[in-house]
Amino acid sequence: MKLIKRFLKIRWLSSLAFLAVMFIITGLVNPGFFTYSNIIECFNSSVVFTLLAVGVAFVIMTGEIDVSIGSTMGLAAAIAGMLAQRGQSWGLMIVYSIVIGLLIGLVNGYGVAVLGVPSLIFTLGTTGIIRGLVYVFSGGKTTENFAGTFTNFGSQTLFGQITIYYTIVLVIVIVTHLLLTQTRSGKYFIAVGDNVGGATLIGIPVTATKIVAYVLCGIFAAISGVAFASKYGQVNIVAGAGYEMSAIAACVLGGISLSGGQGNLAGAAIGAVIMSTISRLLVFIGLSSDFDNTIKGVMLISIVVIDALMQRRSAETARRERLVARASGSAR
Amino acid sequence: MANNVSEVANTTTSTASGESIKLLSVRGITKSFGTNAVLKQIDLDLDGGEVLALIGGNGAGKSTLMKIIMGIYQPDDGKIYVNGCLTHLNKASVALSAGIYMVPQEPMLFPNMTIEENITMGFQEHKQQLRMRLKSVMQEIGWKFDLNRKASTLSIAEQTLVEIIRGLLRNAKILILDEPTSALTFDEVESFFRIVKELRQKGIGIIYITHRLSEVFDIATHVSIMRDGIITLHGPVSDFNHEMLVQGLLPPGSVQKNKLFEQTTSIDYENTQPVFELQNVSGHGFNNISLKVFPGEILGVAGVVGAGRTELVSTIFGRDKILHGRVLLNGKDITGYSTKKVLQAGINYVPEDRHNHGLFKISSITANTTSALLEDRRLGKLFLKPKVEQAITQEFVDGFRIKIAGQDQLAGSLSGGNQQKVVIGRSLSTKPKIVILDEPTRGIDAAARRDVYGIIRGLREQGVAILIISSDMEEIIELADRAVTVSQGSINAEFWKKDITQDNLTASSFGLHVKGEAHAQ
Amino acid sequence: MMGGNDKLNSRFVEGLKKFTKKWEFVLLLILLAEFVIFGAANFEKFMRIGSIFSSINNYISICIISLFVTFVMITGGIDIQASSIVGLTSIVIGVLWSDAGLNIWVAVLLAIVTAALCGALSGFFVSYCGVQPMVVTLGGSFLYSGLALLISGLSKTPAYQGISGFPAKNDLGQFVSFRALGKMLVFDLIPVQIIIYVVLIVLCYLLLHKSRYGRRVYLVGVNRQAAEYSGINSRWIIMSTYILTGIGAAIAGVLLTANVDSAKYNLGSTFTLSIITAVVLGGTLSTGGKGSILGTALAAIVICILRYGLPLCFGISNQNLDLPIGIMLVIVVAVRAVLALNRKPLFRKLDRESLPRN
Repeated sequence: MKLIKRFLKIRWLSSLAFLAVMFIITGLVNPGFFTYSNIIECFNSSVVFTLLAVGVAFVIMTGEIDVSIGSTMGLAAAIAGMLAQRGQSWGLMIVYSIVIGLLIGLVNGYGVAVLGVPSLIFTLGTTGIIRGLVYVFSGGKTTENFAGTFTNFGSQTLFGQITIYYTIVLVIVIVTHLLLTQTRSGKYFIAVGDNVGGATLIGIPVTATKIVAYVLCGIFAAISGVAFASKYGQVNIVAGAGYEMSAIAACVLGGISLSGGQGNLAGAAIGAVIMSTISRLLVFIGLSSDFDNTIKGVMLISIVVIDALMQRRSAETARRERLVARASGSAR
Repeated sequence: MANNVSEVANTTTSTASGESIKLLSVRGITKSFGTNAVLKQIDLDLDGGEVLALIGGNGAGKSTLMKIIMGIYQPDDGKIYVNGCLTHLNKASVALSAGIYMVPQEPMLFPNMTIEENITMGFQEHKQQLRMRLKSVMQEIGWKFDLNRKASTLSIAEQTLVEIIRGLLRNAKILILDEPTSALTFDEVESFFRIVKELRQKGIGIIYITHRLSEVFDIATHVSIMRDGIITLHGPVSDFNHEMLVQGLLPPGSVQKNKLFEQTTSIDYENTQPVFELQNVSGHGFNNISLKVFPGEILGVAGVVGAGRTELVSTIFGRDKILHGRVLLNGKDITGYSTKKVLQAGINYVPEDRHNHGLFKISSITANTTSALLEDRRLGKLFLKPKVEQAITQEFVDGFRIKIAGQDQLAGSLSGGNQQKVVIGRSLSTKPKIVILDEPTRGIDAAARRDVYGIIRGLREQGVAILIISSDMEEIIELADRAVTVSQGSINAEFWKKDITQDNLTASSFGLHVKGEAHAQ
Repeated sequence: MMGGNDKLNSRFVEGLKKFTKKWEFVLLLILLAEFVIFGAANFEKFMRIGSIFSSINNYISICIISLFVTFVMITGGIDIQASSIVGLTSIVIGVLWSDAGLNIWVAVLLAIVTAALCGALSGFFVSYCGVQPMVVTLGGSFLYSGLALLISGLSKTPAYQGISGFPAKNDLGQFVSFRALGKMLVFDLIPVQIIIYVVLIVLCYLLLHKSRYGRRVYLVGVNRQAAEYSGINSRWIIMSTYILTGIGAAIAGVLLTANVDSAKYNLGSTFTLSIITAVVLGGTLSTGGKGSILGTALAAIVICILRYGLPLCFGISNQNLDLPIGIMLVIVVAVRAVLALNRKPLFRKLDRESLPRN
């Protein structure tokens, strides 16, 4: 029991376990699910969500939030589509998307970290602005007709049926995860979210860290837009609406606390897989996709409620133990 | 004792003169927030091996000054010299590299990280090297910590110690300690003083902020008193005594009131029933507490921080579960009542933690005063009657001499003393039969303290029962008709008026047996 | 006699002066500015009372729900599930009336109760279990929209179609009964939804600013612990604010369903951001403790008029409206934040976790 508890304390491992349990249940109901290609497909199809979730994870770990990632993705996707229509190269698309993500991230970071506007509100405002820009750039029309090498590229597989896209994403996730947990400045993100006053006191550049988090978030969101365009072959003007909520839910499912200071990128990536494959799994179980949202909602609520109750219980127990120890003199 | 340090300073910056270069020199620091001038031309000196006690009331500017030295705020004017070199402390990281480290009043650790991660956060060195240095520092100090424990599981005292280790690992030469003992138990304070002495021997200069005058004489080598943004007294501790320090804290022209106060009424213990009675009450943090409070009596509850007094009263007030025993109010059993019911029954409580539990900072003074009265019919049947609220509030504003610009003023913008008066006003608004005041004069200036004492005595005249928890023995000596001491969660002594002395209170607070009536420990 | 009059006058002037310093006054100025600018641009088309009313009517759901979300945000929470509850209410009405054959008003009542229960559930998790409001209502938005979809599956009418044919006209061709809620014009001019909105504004105003309950909501939002020490049951207060938004969302759902004569599961799914925008623009602090019904109402109307005037007078297409509204929100909050920076940290979030207070 104690081993299980310790295991659960490493949050991303519990998320992984949760994912495994989901797979197992699906397979039990429908043994046809247990093929390698089915399971791999779950990961392959989560490219967009993984990028979004990992990106916003940076911001959430610092204790803030970014709801503009959906519209950022939509903007980048529309522009990537337009570039593809003109037969432009990959390199150019990546450059454009990085620039877009960078600019949006800088604006968000400035508003939240420098001006001190509450992050939910500020990024809410920038969402509207970016959405508006999507209309301006796309002329209010769906961007399409850019199929070809662009859309085919990502679905080509490398090895073990893992697509090129997912390979790239995996590499990115692993690299950034290591950077975040092993380097000195990587740890700043979590530190800022854990205790911002304390971080200031030991010289961590809090404002800069938050701005970097937003910039990274914006860039990841923009790149996910390129992946989105490549995957679907068309980008309508409301593309990405609601994706931010799923990305945030993915982070929560992956063990990242919305109040900051807890969690890591591996968890975000796993949470993204969970969120993006629910509908797919439901199909195997035989439930119509109508159950998607209901199940996502139940999952999300159950997990956060259980987590909150457990944390509360342990904090309360610790407090009472301390008090009792003091009173009976066995403290110190 | 004027600010004549500046003359000394002008010579210390030049190495050619015979004067020694101070570790830290602060000259002419001025800072205002908007129109509020918080620091006015502050001069300060600190040398290695010195412990400079910095005392001052709320709003005196101590915290602001420390944040400026730590690079978190920037002064409007003035210069800071570290080891004789002019240093521009525009960021915390600059201050840290200059060898300055601040241990905040409440430890600012990262709760979700381990102790080791907390201490080593922000360092450039190699992990192994760092860990070895950390181990050697801990060995020197003689502390044992499981470095893998999460910071959230540590007690406040342990967290304070971790903060200090952080500073030591950074080879801090100037350590700022902001009320480090306010949350420590007695043993921890002793061990803490030992550490301070060792730090001194290493040549580290310490600025020690405290509200406890006794600590000045226990641990400090020098003392500076701040009031209203200026330094009123400064010099080696040996030059001062208690009265002079208190004098420096009071506004000019005020006369120290005579400590002895004539009892005008005496309580007839034989024939009156206690208003409030605890019978063998146990809860989280306290055991088997029995006491009585009589109408028109002030019962002082002494003890050191962490003895369990606040836990006791907040549990009775409905904030935690009562595990055993009975609570009686005028004979009626109110054990286990919720806060709302306790208030209605006739008890009210001025919390120890004014900021987090007492004050609605961005609410008006009116709203603050009537917050416990919302059930009351007087405030209106369906809707609240602002006039009634204001009238009730005004009674307290006038009676307590609370300095406000208007009842709409936000409570958070008042000075500490006035804030406390507002909270006390609320606690009396429900016309309780017994009022419990927990550290009522902590962190407020001397003038406000006198006013609060007057309020308390006034209540006594009216026949209200009063229970005062205080770590300030002088306060209990001054006010209480009877006193009990709590040690490690239990009452271990009870004293009648003539026996309430510093010695008795101190001894029993620290768990020693004394003459006089004593309850079994 | 004369003295009495003077006193009354001076108090009125005092009150007026105080009002001008408030944020609501700025909002009023913005509203007037809108009228001036749009009126100047295209007087005839803009200044038609009927069109103005119908423009507010188009977004009446956002207006109504934002009134109640104000309560939630004053306690320091947030509610992003309200828009899902709108759809849920709508489909519940539809299914109960058309498939279960219940009387329309009974169906409406049951739908409102359902919505209140949804709010209560989320509110319970926030206040009694200590979960963050953002996450709970995020989960709630998934859950309730999912449930709405599932419930629509219970009906013989396919989900994408929407249930219609609600009780509508009487023999004289006038709208009565249920659809009257959506279509009736009072005095042949004012849509009945607007009347209901005004009534709700008054009720919410009295509830928040004049009643004990409202005072408790504020106190809990300013300092929950201090509220507890004042004998206020903060857990119930917080939970109740979510019940209120549930009911508000239900009312919006009822009106919307009546208006479009279609009970669909996804009604109202895009409202969330606009609701929060209205509340924040209205002066409510997302950290809690501050906010006003008047502010929220004015802000909602400002947004409605903006959505009406911009396309009409400046030819900006409907879909591009997100841009100016987003810009307005950003500018407003940025300016507020900058102004707060200059004051000593009382309001700023940093203060709560910051260094030693003194």
